[in-house]
Amino acid sequence: MTVPKQFHEIRDPIHVFIRLDNHERNVLDSRPFQRLRHVHQLALTYLVYPGATHKRFEHSLGVMELATRVFDVITNPNNISGGVLDQLGVLRDNQELLYWRRVLRMAALCHDIGHLPFSHASEDLLPDGWDHEKITQEIITSDEMKQIWENMTPPLRVEDIIKLAVGPKKAKNFHFSDWEAILAEIIVGDAFGVDRMDYLLRDSHHLGVAYGKFDHYRLIDTLRILPTQTSDEKEAGELTLGVDEGGIQSSEALMVARYFMYSQVYFHPIRRIYDIHLRDFLKDWLGNGVFSTDIDQFLSVTDNEITVALRTAALDPTKPGHPHAQRIVGRKHFKLLYKRNPNDVAINPEAGQAVFNALSQQFGADFFRRDRYSQKGGAPDFPVLMWDGRIVSSLAVSEVLNNVPIVSVDYVFADREVYEKAEKWLLQNRETIITPQKEEAING
Amino acid sequence: MDRLKRAALITRLLQKLREKGSWCGETHVQKAAFFLQNLMRVPLGFDFILYKHGPFSFDLRDELTSMRADGLVRLVPQWPYGPSILTTDLAKNIQDIYSKTLKQYESRITFVAEKLGGKGVAELERLATALYVTQEQDEISSSHERVKTLTTIKPHISTEQAAIAIEEIDRIIEESQRILAGSD
Repeated sequence: MTVPKQFHEIRDPIHVFIRLDNHERNVLDSRPFQRLRHVHQLALTYLVYPGATHKRFEHSLGVMELATRVFDVITNPNNISGGVLDQLGVLRDNQELLYWRRVLRMAALCHDIGHLPFSHASEDLLPDGWDHEKITQEIITSDEMKQIWENMTPPLRVEDIIKLAVGPKKAKNFHFSDWEAILAEIIVGDAFGVDRMDYLLRDSHHLGVAYGKFDHYRLIDTLRILPTQTSDEKEAGELTLGVDEGGIQSSEALMVARYFMYSQVYFHPIRRIYDIHLRDFLKDWLGNGVFSTDIDQFLSVTDNEITVALRTAALDPTKPGHPHAQRIVGRKHFKLLYKRNPNDVAINPEAGQAVFNALSQQFGADFFRRDRYSQKGGAPDFPVLMWDGRIVSSLAVSEVLNNVPIVSVDYVFADREVYEKAEKWLLQNRETIITPQKEEAING
Repeated sequence: MDRLKRAALITRLLQKLREKGSWCGETHVQKAAFFLQNLMRVPLGFDFILYKHGPFSFDLRDELTSMRADGLVRLVPQWPYGPSILTTDLAKNIQDIYSKTLKQYESRITFVAEKLGGKGVAELERLATALYVTQEQDEISSSHERVKTLTTIKPHISTEQAAIAIEEIDRIIEESQRILAGSD
């Protein structure tokens, strides 16, 4: 008689094996999760880096694997100081820890389950008040998923999964205990979130860009729950994820990897303009300009349906979105005309907006697109446990962390039809255009 | 609110806090901006939630990072604590462009800096959470009820500390009315 398999292994190019039990396998096999097999991790980036064909599916598995590793390190009794144990009673309760380990794994697995087709490229195409995290919450609470959570041993509370999957920034209506806030940090945290760790490693691997690699084994092994150091000597700071002193260099490597991947890959100007053209196409293709938030309808659309529509529209001038589709399929994307630089920023931090407005006024808005992004999150300030037991701010001990540049891009792209004229005109008028006026002159 | 106009207001708040002796770490700026927006009605447009140490805005955190990218503020590490946030010369250019707006809100910024500039993070947490609780609850809520809510939300705050914070926030709210009446 064959014994039914209780555990399942999945091979992964980054983490080698990712293991799940039967309960977790039900999540993997669910319709919302299987849909992620058909959502590219990096939208149309494969048009610039041909290797970028990996999907949200394997990334989600990777996030679950890394989240588990972090959990096991930070809850290991050898890695917990007395003060932390007093503040987080859950660390003394093995049953509770097992429950939260499972919640964390499932939250990590489902953290991207509400991603739109082509991921972030179509993020804006939802009705007001919606984003992919809100869709994620809706899917986690759907009847189909609820049944899976209830049948787990022990059953999982939907609210707990949501909180950890989207974090306090997006789960605004939920109150987070210190423990829940730390667990959410493991997935979506600014400094050591494993979502970022996995996508840096995975994207780097698939694109053939070495910048995203860092020693994540060492980093994870040195993570600890620590109080932040505040200027208030009498009071202990809030508990958060930090590192012991031996993890400083791998933390630095993570932040540097992030900087290089953002500046070299995620904000590569051609990749960005393809995203803009895709958004323009989708606005026309969707008819009312937005994706449905009805979960059944939402789950029925993946990159596959859109790729077919895109290729059809590129060949047929009568189809909605034809010119945008042609730009993508025919590789006739708008060209980079202006990009942010330190000299202009010193005069006007929003110089790109001024350039875009002036060009639109001179030649017509349809010929130009602007792309502005500034890095989110705070400074890489986290507690470091020194060899002598003191806890200090990472920025007080690391020159590197103090000097990692912040990614901030501001691009203006022009249609090839007017590119040369616009370039010449901008050269002649640039100084005047970017010089800011006093608010009285603008508003009267 | 226009992004640069908002940057002009935040940098002026930072300068005033510094003048009043503030450490000007991120927590200080978060709590001061919360007071400026939610008590003094300066429309900064940040979304504050109740987080680990009281009201906190992820949007403001992002904005401070953008302002660092633009060279309007810089971090100064202070062993062994987290860094202070200082304004740069470039911030003055932005303030000059928005001098009309700054003049409009000057008294409100000064009020917040005077009330919070000398306080440490633990006191700021208590006071900002007291304001949050007061604004969230019915106007008729008694001090006792608010103390109870505060200690429920933040169990590490003692009843005595919560009572002091509620008493102080009531005084600050009353004083703020005079400033607002004068500047409206």
